Amino acid sequence: MIGTRFFFARSRWMHWLLLPAMLLWLSPLAWMLVTSFKTRAEIFDPAAGVLPQVLQWGNYPAALAVAPFGTYLINSLMVTGGILIAQLTTITLAAYAFARLRFPGRDLLFGLFLLQVMFPIYATFLTNFITVRELGLLNSLWALMVPFIASGYGTFMLRQAFRQVPQDLADAARLDGCGHWATLWHVYLPLVKPTLIAFGMISVVTHWNDYMWPLLVTNSESVRTLPIGLGLLAKADSGADWPRLMAATMVVIAPLMLLFLIFQRRFVDSFMHAGLK
Amino acid sequence: MTAISLQGISKRYPDHVAVDRLDLDVQAGEFMVLVGPSGCGKSTTLRMIAGLEDISEGRLLIGGRDVTHAEPHERDIAMVFQSYALYPHMTVYMNMAFGLLRASKLTRSEVDQRVNEAASRLQITELLQRRPNELSGGQRQRVAIGRALVRKPKVFLFDEPLSNLDAKLRTHMRGELERLHAELGITIVYVTHDQVEAMTLGTRIAVMDRGHLRQVGAPMEVYRRPANRFVASFIGSPEMNFLPVSEDMAEGRAWLNHHYGAASLQPGTVLGLRPEELLISSVEVAAPWSWPGVVQRVERLGAEAYAQIRVGTADVLVRTEADAALEASKPVFLTPELSRLRVFDGQTGATLATRE
Repeated sequence: MIGTRFFFARSRWMHWLLLPAMLLWLSPLAWMLVTSFKTRAEIFDPAAGVLPQVLQWGNYPAALAVAPFGTYLINSLMVTGGILIAQLTTITLAAYAFARLRFPGRDLLFGLFLLQVMFPIYATFLTNFITVRELGLLNSLWALMVPFIASGYGTFMLRQAFRQVPQDLADAARLDGCGHWATLWHVYLPLVKPTLIAFGMISVVTHWNDYMWPLLVTNSESVRTLPIGLGLLAKADSGADWPRLMAATMVVIAPLMLLFLIFQRRFVDSFMHAGLK
Repeated sequence: MTAISLQGISKRYPDHVAVDRLDLDVQAGEFMVLVGPSGCGKSTTLRMIAGLEDISEGRLLIGGRDVTHAEPHERDIAMVFQSYALYPHMTVYMNMAFGLLRASKLTRSEVDQRVNEAASRLQITELLQRRPNELSGGQRQRVAIGRALVRKPKVFLFDEPLSNLDAKLRTHMRGELERLHAELGITIVYVTHDQVEAMTLGTRIAVMDRGHLRQVGAPMEVYRRPANRFVASFIGSPEMNFLPVSEDMAEGRAWLNHHYGAASLQPGTVLGLRPEELLISSVEVAAPWSWPGVVQRVERLGAEAYAQIRVGTADVLVRTEADAALEASKPVFLTPELSRLRVFDGQTGATLATRE
């Protein structure tokens, strides 16, 4: 009885602490949503109040009419998805090699991987640009994906996770007739699912939001991605069109939010499972 | 019939030798226990039999077939790990069936039948749909054994399987292992550092030390007639007592010379006697051997008592009756049971043979 009351008291106390933090984090999102329903005049009118007088649903179609957002959306999905699949494949194989195989130069090679993580991404833009141009991929969806199919950070994360898997399990798999591939597939990957999901989320968010690189290597509508479309709105000749920009931004971030809502549970679940062992 | 034959097997690392030219034959149906202190090479030996470690030198035969360089799953063996090594993301059923589904040509229903058979033998049928993290230590142990049983291998390998269990469960599982061995007539190679497990489980035990095999034999034979001082002190609990032969024991030296020859009179020669092989008396007994000593302390365990007696500079442990009239600082004499006396060479530690 006392235990239960204590538990509730404690969790309520935590809620009071976390509530302001949550409001703080939600406020830009709420501001964006509210703004996307206002007229342009309302935004700069101090007397207009926080909420729009009339919900301007028209901002949404108007914003999406500025650029071919449908094409952008498909491009974004293909690029982000393509990068994710390629990265999961490459980091899995590389991390397994670094975690469990012995070969000459392994530690040196891994050091180079770590070094790559330490470079700011912009430092490699020029060389990547030249590489992509030499490959003849400029202004194509490939140009948006190719530089990112490997990930030093992901390899590092997964290598650490693989090293947590007890060697006995790998030995047991060998006795059960598994080679490297089968051991990786049946033993290692199922056990590092939380890490894979965490990395997947980071990767998707990063590349979904990427603006600089797509801007650099694309120049036609047919291969551009959503953030570039937003950029068009922000740079309209007459200054930024805030309500439409916010409306378009809502549309662009919606899939990410949805993804988070879906995976948040899985995410927390899988970590709880790992903790119980 | 010989189930496993290790012929001059070595495991060398760049900086040390873990196992040095080991020769050992395990007979079919035998329960062979490899025992020794940590770092003696017993686990490395087991892992070489399993195929998890490469064999640097020598030949390994399982069921008469040379498997020195064969993959683990081609060796017709099954192994139970110290950590159990159950796959955490699979059910108990899948843990047991996984290897069969991958490496054997059995149909699904045959696999199913084998898993159910092993599960009912081990009384884990109701656990088949659970995951390892929902099981107790003893249940996990059974699953690990079940995973080995379903494969019906030529040889079972156990790597310290009971060391993660508490004392009571360990005794219980020891009994179960013995029963399994007797009922199924399987061949087992079992690694442990626990000499009680070795004594109680083994048909024969192989005592290892620093990469060398020191003695192989039936438990009681190893206990009674250890081949050297290392085996003598490692097997048996409490440990064997080691007593020096002093210069002034004229009668004793004559006796030694008569039974063991001049080698036994070299300086450094040590006599080995277990706590139950010494007799405590309050007056000196006319025998070739008798050591004067002083009682240090007496541990009365209920059924028996152990008296710690200072002889010269050494402490000697003697088993005696629970209510023996002994108290600290009482002077006593120790007489050995001569038929059990062992004489160890001062230089090599080898047991000297009698001259009869």
